[in-house]
Amino acid sequence: MNDSTTTRRFLHSAAAAAALLALTLPGSALAQIAPVDTAPGERGVLARAAAASYRQAARYPASSRPVAPGAADPVLAQRVPAPHSMPGRTADSPVLSVWSREVSFQAPAAVELHASLDQPRGGKSAPLEITGEVVRAGGEAVGRVTYRDDGEGADTRKHDGVYSARFEVPADLVPEVAESFAVRVRAVTGDGEEIGTTGGFLYGTPDARLTGRYRDEVRDGNLVIAAEVKVEAAGRFHVAGTLYSMKGEPVGWAQAAAELAPGVHWLELSYYGLMFHDRGAAGPFRLGTVALSTTTTMPNALNDLVENAHQTRAYPLARFESRPFGEPGLTAAAARLEASASGGER
Amino acid sequence: MRRRLVPAVAAIALMAAAAPQVLAQPCFIFVHGKQTNTSTYTNYSSARSYWVNGSNDFIRTATRNFAAPFYVVGYNGTRPYWEPQAAGEVANEIVNATNGIADGGGNRCSRTYAQGGTFWVVAHSMGGPVMDFILGNNDSSDPNYNYNGPYSTVAQRISLAITLSGAHRGSQGADAVCSQSNPFCNFGAGFIQGCDDATYWLRSDDAVQVKTFANAPARNVYLTGGWEAIFGASACLSGEDDGVVQYASMYACGGSATASYDNSNVCGNSFKQESSGFLNLDAGHENHSDIKDASDDDDRRQVPDGIWTCSGSPCAPNTTVQTAMTSAELVSILW
Repeated sequence: MNDSTTTRRFLHSAAAAAALLALTLPGSALAQIAPVDTAPGERGVLARAAAASYRQAARYPASSRPVAPGAADPVLAQRVPAPHSMPGRTADSPVLSVWSREVSFQAPAAVELHASLDQPRGGKSAPLEITGEVVRAGGEAVGRVTYRDDGEGADTRKHDGVYSARFEVPADLVPEVAESFAVRVRAVTGDGEEIGTTGGFLYGTPDARLTGRYRDEVRDGNLVIAAEVKVEAAGRFHVAGTLYSMKGEPVGWAQAAAELAPGVHWLELSYYGLMFHDRGAAGPFRLGTVALSTTTTMPNALNDLVENAHQTRAYPLARFESRPFGEPGLTAAAARLEASASGGER
Repeated sequence: MRRRLVPAVAAIALMAAAAPQVLAQPCFIFVHGKQTNTSTYTNYSSARSYWVNGSNDFIRTATRNFAAPFYVVGYNGTRPYWEPQAAGEVANEIVNATNGIADGGGNRCSRTYAQGGTFWVVAHSMGGPVMDFILGNNDSSDPNYNYNGPYSTVAQRISLAITLSGAHRGSQGADAVCSQSNPFCNFGAGFIQGCDDATYWLRSDDAVQVKTFANAPARNVYLTGGWEAIFGASACLSGEDDGVVQYASMYACGGSATASYDNSNVCGNSFKQESSGFLNLDAGHENHSDIKDASDDDDRRQVPDGIWTCSGSPCAPNTTVQTAMTSAELVSILW
């Protein structure tokens, strides 16, 4: 399909939009949008589309959402670091990719950093060297590392093209809560070309930890999984967890947050009952991933991810809420948009 | 004075021509991007000028010659997106706008939230992660709920956000600048000449990404971006880019922030940095600067899950859907 052959129809009130543009744009006329017959649709289409999506989302509370069949675990997706890359000087140059083993490391763990040089048409490139300089946000250098592909230390496999380095955060730099560090990575290719990029990691000392004790019940039609936390210092704490079917499919996500004093507490993840009707699944379920964070300040201190934390009992589907939640904020936003799109005032 | 009279006349003509739409028009709230100094925070004229290039004016175009009311936010674009002078300031100003308070130039929303007004945020570049942080921390169960401003009130009151080349996943330009070892990537003309604190927090690394510190946005964020390269700078960006931000970031993609995408294959609505709330509009042949000041009316292309229809069905990705339309004009036909 191309400009000359496409029969393009300017839809409904998009024609009105064109007329308005002709009126309002300096030097503009229909000619400016003449090749069109494509259009985003009638006037107010975006407002109506947004309203429809809000009505759909309002079936669940903000603290609990279903995971669509086939979709990724949202907790895992936020905690697994993705490599990021920097192209070389020319189209034929290798691409430098860097990543860390975790998005965030929990003191006193050592930081594990990785890098690779990838050929643009596939395959790895052997560098002369890859080095890194660890810096704080203000640019202060606090350490240097050399990446190796020797199968030792942080490098799990020798000569696989993935170069690794381990960095011990000096004791005087271990943050009270968390700090973001950057790593200036510099690779020298076999041809002597230098490629640089910046990686990084979070390093933190969370003020609470999951004790490993969980309990579950159906309350008010929702599956409530309580996770016990031991708090060392007062602050704000956030927990998120993804519930899996016993077949290993993510079913739902929930989160909770609270200000807590030192001591032992329970944080409750409440999975809204409708999700089990939507998926036709009553359990038992597996709490597949749980992420606790200290969110007293930015950046947050992320605890290590806990996987396969708990298995719930089986509950009859009938015990779960089957009515939409009707989240009031989303419902109100939808109504306001619909009124706006229809050209009326509230 | 003269400058304001002309649009006023046009606005009256518009009201006569399209009264129902005028009655229901949203108020537009504009949130700028990364800055190399604090001028937009301290001086309204700088914040307003951000959207202007010569005789071209994004705000005039998007509001159909000021037929819709607007409010211009000015925050400290040298600070990290989550700090009080960034997200906090933006949140407070948005609430001010919804209360009918005027911006520094005397522009105000004609109907307050209490009076039934609707509010659309238009954000450019770093304005993207600023809005993501606000809208992803609006609920008391969110990790950084109301961290340094009235995020919950913002989410309650705005109807949607549109981002223009939003740096949702950071910028490889920031990676290059902060590495201090890529002299061939010339960002001298961009907004990221140095690795200041804002740039540091706009890197591609997951440890600084807004997705690590926020949930899915409470209101939809609609995504458009530019694919006109800038000589030098674009050499350091993967796939299509606008000279400062790469597609994977503009379209808030899941996975790697530097994945190589173009108009045919950029992530659709089901593979975003969050499980919901990010939705594709289209792409324009504009660079990072053009897209915010309506200075380049050029081709627009459909992207996967984009909004353009061809003969009643969604156009195929990469279809040229317009040949002379700025992103400002796009916004103007969406309301």
